[in-house]
Amino acid sequence: MIFADCKPIEEIVKNLKGSKNVLLIGCATCVAECAVGGEREVEILAPLLRMALEKEGGPVQITTKTLEKQCEAEFVEELVELMPGVDAVVSLACGIGVQAVADRFQKVAVFPGVNTSALTIREEPGLWATRCEACGDCVLGETFGICPISRCAKSLMNGPCGGTRNDGKCEVNPDVDCAWTLIVDRAEARGALKSLMEVRKTKNWSNSRHGGTKRVLREDLRV
Amino acid sequence: MNGQAQTTAFEPDIVVLYCGHCIREDRSIISALESVKGFSARCSMVSCSSQIEVSHVLKLLEQGVDGVEVIACSEGACKSLVGSARAEKRVRYAQTLLGNIHMNAERLGISRKKTGITVEDIVGLATERADAVRALGPNHMKNGGKK
Repeated sequence: MIFADCKPIEEIVKNLKGSKNVLLIGCATCVAECAVGGEREVEILAPLLRMALEKEGGPVQITTKTLEKQCEAEFVEELVELMPGVDAVVSLACGIGVQAVADRFQKVAVFPGVNTSALTIREEPGLWATRCEACGDCVLGETFGICPISRCAKSLMNGPCGGTRNDGKCEVNPDVDCAWTLIVDRAEARGALKSLMEVRKTKNWSNSRHGGTKRVLREDLRV
Repeated sequence: MNGQAQTTAFEPDIVVLYCGHCIREDRSIISALESVKGFSARCSMVSCSSQIEVSHVLKLLEQGVDGVEVIACSEGACKSLVGSARAEKRVRYAQTLLGNIHMNAERLGISRKKTGITVEDIVGLATERADAVRALGPNHMKNGGKK
């Protein structure tokens, strides 16, 4: 899922200073899964914001709404009836959702309420860990389903490095497993250790996230 | 109005949220809380304190309540095993959030000290919360936050 962290409340309050009618919107998908932007979090932030803003100035009206998917135009359309009179929007969706709302309602200030930061899996209740860096050239088939880009502190393509601890943890963070130790262990368990010795094709980084704006066109879907 | 006069006249409005399983007796808690002096108190029973969400306590404060006291089962006595522990974590989280907006976290409290609590215990905990809140003055959200 797309992972996000709560923005400091001071930052949100600062952005909303002077606003009298605020629309606070959540998203019921990824940010709800990581407990920062779903309906529950919207209902926590709304009273908190109102108390903070009323301390700063006059009365503020805060309307709440949680969309099924804030990154899809069809769902964003549900906000149309709530927009009249709204002078600021706070979106608890990921950066995609925030932009979908800002694009649709360009005359209103739309502020993010979270910092979108990673692609994660929930390992345990309350614990998320990065599993993907959206590098654009997936090697999971060669690394036995363990991503060295996101799970190795150095994003090494050939590991383990010399810093792996005796207990198989990463030298950078003792709470994190060494990704390459996991890869080697899994390869060994499958009896395929030799495959790691093969010389792989150079990884294509031009398709990664830092390769600039990406547009994907699928003619088969454009009827 | 000077600060001294405000402190003496101020009668905090307290809401007590309590788990129905940690109460030992059937006597009316409502009438006991109605007869308290120096503050007013209302109460609401839940079947497990884990049903109390962070948003519930924040909304009470948003509506102008001066203080909220949550009463939950003690460690090991919760019928839902971790319900009261969950409630405590939520209250602590809500206190942190209140601190983040520069509201005093003392407006909110949780007690999970003992099992089989009595009506007098509840009145006592409400009184303690009222005393803590009295020192802070009225919630700025009183009267719908209108100044």
